Amino acid sequence: MKVSASARALGTQFSLLDLRPAPLRPVLVPDPQPVESPVREDVRRLRESLQGTAAAKLMNATELLRALDKERRDESIPTTLAPFDELLGGGLPRGKMVELTGRFGAGRFSVVLSALAAATSMGEAAVLIDLGDHLDPRNAQENGVDLQRVLWIRPKTLKQAVMAAEMITATGFQLVVLDAGRYPVRGRRVPDAAWVRLARSAEAHGTAMLISTPYPATGTASEAVVSADRSKMLWLGRGKSPRLLTGATTQLRLEKHRHRKPGAVTTLKVLLNP
Amino acid sequence: MTRLACLFVPMFPLAARLRSEPDLLNEAVVIVDGDGSGAHVVAATRRARTKSVKPGMSLAQARSIIPKLIARARDTECERTAQEALVEVAETFSPRVEDAGEGLVFLDVSGLERHFPSEEDLGKAALRAADDVGLPARCGLAASKLAARVAAELPKSPTVVAAGTEAEFLAPLPLARLTPELDAATTLQRWGLTSIGDLAQLPESEVASRLGSIGRELHYAARGIDPRPLIPRPLPQEFREGMELEWPLVALDPFLFIASAALDRLSKRMEIQGFACRRLELTMNLEPDGFHARAIDLPAPTRDVKTMLALLRLDLEKTPPGAPVTGFSLVAHPDRPRRAQLSLFGPAALSPEKLATTIAKLVSMLGEDRVGMPMTVDSHLPDRYTLGAFEPPPPPELRRTPRRSGGLLAVRVFRPPVPVEVITRPSRPDEPGDVQIESLSGEISGEVRHCAGPWKVSDEWWSATPASHAYWDVELASGSYRVYRDEGEEGWFVGGVYG
Repeated sequence: MKVSASARALGTQFSLLDLRPAPLRPVLVPDPQPVESPVREDVRRLRESLQGTAAAKLMNATELLRALDKERRDESIPTTLAPFDELLGGGLPRGKMVELTGRFGAGRFSVVLSALAAATSMGEAAVLIDLGDHLDPRNAQENGVDLQRVLWIRPKTLKQAVMAAEMITATGFQLVVLDAGRYPVRGRRVPDAAWVRLARSAEAHGTAMLISTPYPATGTASEAVVSADRSKMLWLGRGKSPRLLTGATTQLRLEKHRHRKPGAVTTLKVLLNP
Repeated sequence: MTRLACLFVPMFPLAARLRSEPDLLNEAVVIVDGDGSGAHVVAATRRARTKSVKPGMSLAQARSIIPKLIARARDTECERTAQEALVEVAETFSPRVEDAGEGLVFLDVSGLERHFPSEEDLGKAALRAADDVGLPARCGLAASKLAARVAAELPKSPTVVAAGTEAEFLAPLPLARLTPELDAATTLQRWGLTSIGDLAQLPESEVASRLGSIGRELHYAARGIDPRPLIPRPLPQEFREGMELEWPLVALDPFLFIASAALDRLSKRMEIQGFACRRLELTMNLEPDGFHARAIDLPAPTRDVKTMLALLRLDLEKTPPGAPVTGFSLVAHPDRPRRAQLSLFGPAALSPEKLATTIAKLVSMLGEDRVGMPMTVDSHLPDRYTLGAFEPPPPPELRRTPRRSGGLLAVRVFRPPVPVEVITRPSRPDEPGDVQIESLSGEISGEVRHCAGPWKVSDEWWSATPASHAYWDVELASGSYRVYRDEGEEGWFVGGVYG
């Protein structure tokens, strides 16, 4: 059937070459595939991703919105740092709080900027609550952060930072990053209940939340805790020749996860000029 | 087909006065215009009218009938606020409202049929709304301003004139209804005409040749033709609320309690019009005299009373007025709230109004210079930045996959930079030997393991405060730092840490 159809399509060429095509036989040509817009493709993918019973019930826009919301909440926002994402099972889970601990210079800020870069490159608006006032916009831009989609908040104490995070989560931002800066954190500690409230707020609004602190602070409220340690700088040049800083490696360890076995260790390599 | 409603308050000067002094409602009260012997009655309450006190009488004549008659002069302020209240009532039904003055308001009610079962129900709802603000109004609905006004003046209210039946509706009415303010009706009565229908039957050219352009207009009106369009009043430039206090206030909290109620009223008024506040101005009258004025620019238009109150509190705490407050006025400059089309399949978009409110709250909590969009500046020096208003571009229609960054080493900058001492122990005169860095706090200290540099950067050499730095990347046991020597200040600083 395929040969017959091709012959019919190429009939003109055959006559030019003075070749007699085989007699045509009626064939059943399937209807052309409908041209689907990307949106329809999304709906199809959504139906496929849903369970059969749920997909069959998907009848109107309200249900579609609910299904989309559910699908969105099950997703993660990748940081595009493969070792970090692997530890968390794909990235920062939406609706959950992830804590990244480690002393300053351990690579925490590189993870923070990578998360912001990934989220903004997806078109999401993100928030950086920068307690230590450490952001260099030019460096962030070089890291791929779309500054137009970043709201930069610079609180003075940890209490203000947590309050700002709770406020901003309720606004609908999909990624909220709270960087507590270096030790000692301004404002020291906040009650554990504040972190629990913040985690619940993130869950209620489907926000992926990354808390970067120099020491463990969130307690039982976080979904996962990753520690960054033993950073090693990478230099170009040996002996007495001039050196050039090229990057750093950091060891990441999964200290806690509600759905994964803790203790996994991986090495993160970040470069100054990749 | 355009449908217009007319809200009319009979005896408006009296109604406005009784709105301010409701205790006089059941008394024999007259509103007088003019002074001394020239004072004459312009309106009287039902109790006064039953004793034959009529508009046009002199006050002396009225007092001869009712010796205990209460007389009040016309109060322009009362009438202005009553008229404003009537207009605001009309604006709760339609955004297109014409303020015709003296207790008369026209509003375009086209398209409201989905909200009310019938036009009569719409009229009743408008009358109830007017009654709620203390104004006994009448309502007429028709296709033209003239027919709507005449319908509103009839005792039965609301009166609905069906479209195309204006001429039939007007025909049996007396001529005085057509132009209550003109004497033309008297002239026409001398011609033997008694009703509007009689005038409509006359030839237009004959009436125009005898009475001129007024006659032509009267003839048009008698046939139910009113070419005058509705002229909607322009959108208000500002919303104002305030009050005179009975005693001076010296503490902040009582003042904010009263201001909160005024802000609440402002917010509701702006909500009716679909506006949000962009700029808030506060003027306080001080004891014994003088005033204190201030303006608060909101980071984004908002109607959230708590946010505005928090900004007001912060501003007053920062710069108190310095004297007891005897009165205040709040002026809100309106702006359209931000709107956005939310996406179904793309990334979740932010609600502009919610975002504006949150940013305003954050600004009130942290300060204006601590919330915004980070922006780079045109400078050779690293870590220079500026803050802009956070107005993110609309999200894409479909979700994108994240761009792979590959992992870049980030710099955590120190603001302000940490001053350090760089100590060298030369083993030979031509070599620096071991180098040690020490900060005053001891946080950044240790032997230099590796270093790279210098990279010399000079900026703003044309200005009075030029910057000339030489940068090194330095590795200590505690981490790798960006260290620089400020050649102007002759000192060493740690500008940031890698990682």
